[in-house]
Amino acid sequence: MSEMKNIKNLKEFSTSADRFEGANLLCPGCAHSIIVREVLNATNDDLILSASTGCLEVCTAVYPYTSWDASWIHIGFENGSTAVAGAESMYKALKKKGRLKQPDRNPKFVSFAGDGASYDIGFQWISGCMERGHNIMHVVLDNEVYANTGGQRSSSTPIGSSATTSPAGRVSYGEKKNKKDMISIMAAHGIPYAAQVAPNKWKDMVKKIQHGFSVDGPVFINAISPCTTEWKFDPKDTMHITDLSTDSLVFPLYEIIDGRELNITYRPKNVIPVEEYLAAQGRFKHLFKDEYKYLIKEWQERVDSNWAYLQRREESRV
Amino acid sequence: MAKKGWDEFEIGAMLRTFDGKIDDIAGTQQEDRAYSQSSSYTASVADWRLIKPIFNKDYCIDCQFCWIYCPDVSIIARDKKLIGVDMDHCKGCGICVEVCPTNPKSLLMFPEQADEETEIASWPKKDEKEE
Repeated sequence: MSEMKNIKNLKEFSTSADRFEGANLLCPGCAHSIIVREVLNATNDDLILSASTGCLEVCTAVYPYTSWDASWIHIGFENGSTAVAGAESMYKALKKKGRLKQPDRNPKFVSFAGDGASYDIGFQWISGCMERGHNIMHVVLDNEVYANTGGQRSSSTPIGSSATTSPAGRVSYGEKKNKKDMISIMAAHGIPYAAQVAPNKWKDMVKKIQHGFSVDGPVFINAISPCTTEWKFDPKDTMHITDLSTDSLVFPLYEIIDGRELNITYRPKNVIPVEEYLAAQGRFKHLFKDEYKYLIKEWQERVDSNWAYLQRREESRV
Repeated sequence: MAKKGWDEFEIGAMLRTFDGKIDDIAGTQQEDRAYSQSSSYTASVADWRLIKPIFNKDYCIDCQFCWIYCPDVSIIARDKKLIGVDMDHCKGCGICVEVCPTNPKSLLMFPEQADEETEIASWPKKDEKEE
């Protein structure tokens, strides 16, 4: 059971039996379930899962239904990661004492959380898990807003985005603080693996998830999850928006090994201007008014300098 | 299932996805699993849908892009072949049509009341690129 699942191409991948069910109550076109499916299908091993409060949790566990075909727990907003870490500790202890009925099954421990439950509310708990070195994977479904409660800003919301607690209007252009660099913070714990993934690059994603399962120690995955409701685009365009985010380098795909070695895993052939990414979403609509146009230029400069930084860091191997 | 009042719920609840014992979930396809009433697989969100995808197997190249990008596990692929769309769980988002690479597309969105056979008979022709 514990050998790595062999996934060479999409046809082979499509023979996987899904362990996440439909008729959940996520919005049509939500990227959360695409990411969850890609993570769960990356392995054939048993899964022990948790979800922190957020869209994914409220929509997949509406009493009396569950959409999960694996052990799954929800406790609170902040402690999805520690719940799974606790299960992992118990599993290790029972294994040591020889009290497991099937000790060779080698389950995988994964906690899912939104950006609110990772960047803000669960931050201390996740940091604790990473520091204690549990053998778990924490997957952030980063939709850059508290979508479940009506679109309040989180510390993942980027500059210029209109959120309900930082609305754009006559006096303001919306969110004024830039997105928190969560990957660097988590990598600074010295964890064996931290990576950014996007659902449109499924092969890159599956490779990273499988590597994350194979290493011993905590793994942090940050996945971009375009939100049709709060980013304000048509449900059918979810994959198009994700393409724009990775190809405009707004959301670069890279991995950090052992907290030091940075590898860029996806280099777009044609880098598209950030303006196209912003124009495709209703939450940035006001940036195209004359008085706020300077922000688009700033956006482009910020993305360029971040990309240059990542490349410098990759070259220098530090 | 009888509906409970707001003060009758137990604190903390455990739902079992399957009836009886299942050993190898990852190796068992959906149709071979014994889902319990608690699994959302037994529920339906078909009434969310205003438009529905219709699958025309004549043009399909089994690339499986629709399978991987379907958010609702509604594209049924077995033995590397695309079989059809699960109409109980499809919410009609249209991602499968957007990611379909064939020309003409082998999945297209139609109004919910459209008839599958008539639409497949009048499927659009190949789009020639303008010179």
